[in-house]
Amino acid sequence: MLQVREVVAAYGPIVALHGVSLEVPEGSIVAVLGANGAGKSTTLRAVSGLLRPRSGSIEFDGQRIDHMSAEQIVSLGMSHIPEGRQLFSEMTVLENLRLGAYSRFTGLAGSIGEYRQRRQDFEAAVKQVFEYFPILAERRNQIAGTLSGGEQQMLAIGRGLMGNPRLLLLDEPSMGLAPIVTREIFEIIETINRTQGVTILLVEQNANLALEIAHYGYVLETGRVALADTSENLRKSEAVQRSYLGQ
Amino acid sequence: MEEFWQQMVTGLATGSVYGLLALAIVLIYRSTTVLNFAQGEMAMFTTFMAWTMLHWGHYWIVFPLVLLMAAAMGGFIELVIIRRVEGGPILNIIIVTLGLFAILNNVATWRWGGIPKAFPAPPEIQVTGIRFFGEGALDIGPTVVSYHDLTILVFAVGIMAALYLFFQYTPLGLAMRATAQNPIASRLMGIRVGRMLAVGWALSAAVGAVAGMLIANLILLQPPMMMGVLLYAFAAAVLGGLDSPVGAIVGGLIIGITENLVGTYTPQDVLGPDMKLTVTLIIIVLVLLVRPTGIFGKRAMRRV
Repeated sequence: MLQVREVVAAYGPIVALHGVSLEVPEGSIVAVLGANGAGKSTTLRAVSGLLRPRSGSIEFDGQRIDHMSAEQIVSLGMSHIPEGRQLFSEMTVLENLRLGAYSRFTGLAGSIGEYRQRRQDFEAAVKQVFEYFPILAERRNQIAGTLSGGEQQMLAIGRGLMGNPRLLLLDEPSMGLAPIVTREIFEIIETINRTQGVTILLVEQNANLALEIAHYGYVLETGRVALADTSENLRKSEAVQRSYLGQ
Repeated sequence: MEEFWQQMVTGLATGSVYGLLALAIVLIYRSTTVLNFAQGEMAMFTTFMAWTMLHWGHYWIVFPLVLLMAAAMGGFIELVIIRRVEGGPILNIIIVTLGLFAILNNVATWRWGGIPKAFPAPPEIQVTGIRFFGEGALDIGPTVVSYHDLTILVFAVGIMAALYLFFQYTPLGLAMRATAQNPIASRLMGIRVGRMLAVGWALSAAVGAVAGMLIANLILLQPPMMMGVLLYAFAAAVLGGLDSPVGAIVGGLIIGITENLVGTYTPQDVLGPDMKLTVTLIIIVLVLLVRPTGIFGKRAMRRV
């Protein structure tokens, strides 16, 4: 579903990715692991179009997307849930969800029928998000910035799902959360993948947790892929255990 | 007492004009953090366009046309000029809007000349026997209000209400608010941030155009007419909080009323009408010492 080949990406003069290649098969969960500054977030930013790669190619469903803007890529069915969640913190939960569906409903509806259809699709998507995260239904009219960290992460994921994506890019969903909340969120991520068939590319520092739900894993080191294997093999690998699993 | 109410109403009316122009400034500032120094001159320019068009068209036909033209001008300025400097050093943008100020001012002087021109008030409309706009005055009990003052108030309130509904209940309004709050997240939602900024400039220019047409009736139409108004409008925007549309209008009203009351009630040899600008600005400085973000402002101001 997603092929990243030899991608070089830089922030001004600082090169963050020195030719990263990775593949995300349809229906899978792929984890990208690595220390701070290894290029994990940069990889996601390059894929979602926030950062234009200097060279290399990125294909989504067989279509080259490395020259597209982030705005275009969303409408192809890819949602990027960025590091630090990036909610619209002065808006309500529902408004955040509405914005999540923005790419599906741009432009005026052509007819009353289309308008009704959109409304229905939107309601269905909200209902689905509320099923995954019932707490968001309770807080629907609350300002996003006043939610707890876990609730904010849930809203970020919910907002990403509103676009009805086939590929979800998740950047550090565990960041700043209590272990018990993290576990809950990871369970839901797995459910989303299993029941809805949404493919997931997951960036995580918590390698243990990520490899529990992922099918494949890549380990990045200073902008290069150091290891790539099934998560089962990665968990067994001595190098990974030593560096990332703390065993 | 009647004079007091009279001054209050007049203050509210001029304050609404300051508020409208302040609103135009805030609309741009909160989405781009650009302070548009050319806001007043854009309004002056569109008012001149209205003046020319009034030679062949009725006021109520010209009015919406001018709003459309102002919007087109605002969008054009953003797309063609501001976009090149956006994201660059803040001083570059300030210089560009100051340059715009000079250009619009000079073109207006060259095209229409410097002699002040009378600009009509919105003419009367009868709706089922009730009179809107037009000349004359209305007795509202404690005082008599001129129709033009009432017109200005109606416009200010109407525009506020329309903008509120637009931002709160339309997808485009929601997307524009999102862009102002978090441009990166907005891009990830599929919102074309650049387009939203152009729409913001268009909207702002249209709001400014209304302010220009309303104030021109009070102070005569001429190229430098908006200089004083712009000063008050900036003061109003800062007082209300630069990122708050409600604050802009409230700030404008406070300044309009203060200005009028100071001009009327302070003794001639101490302060008097000549000092009303000074007194008003001193009050603003005092308010900002207590609340640096303005009355309704949220965003922490950076020290420059």
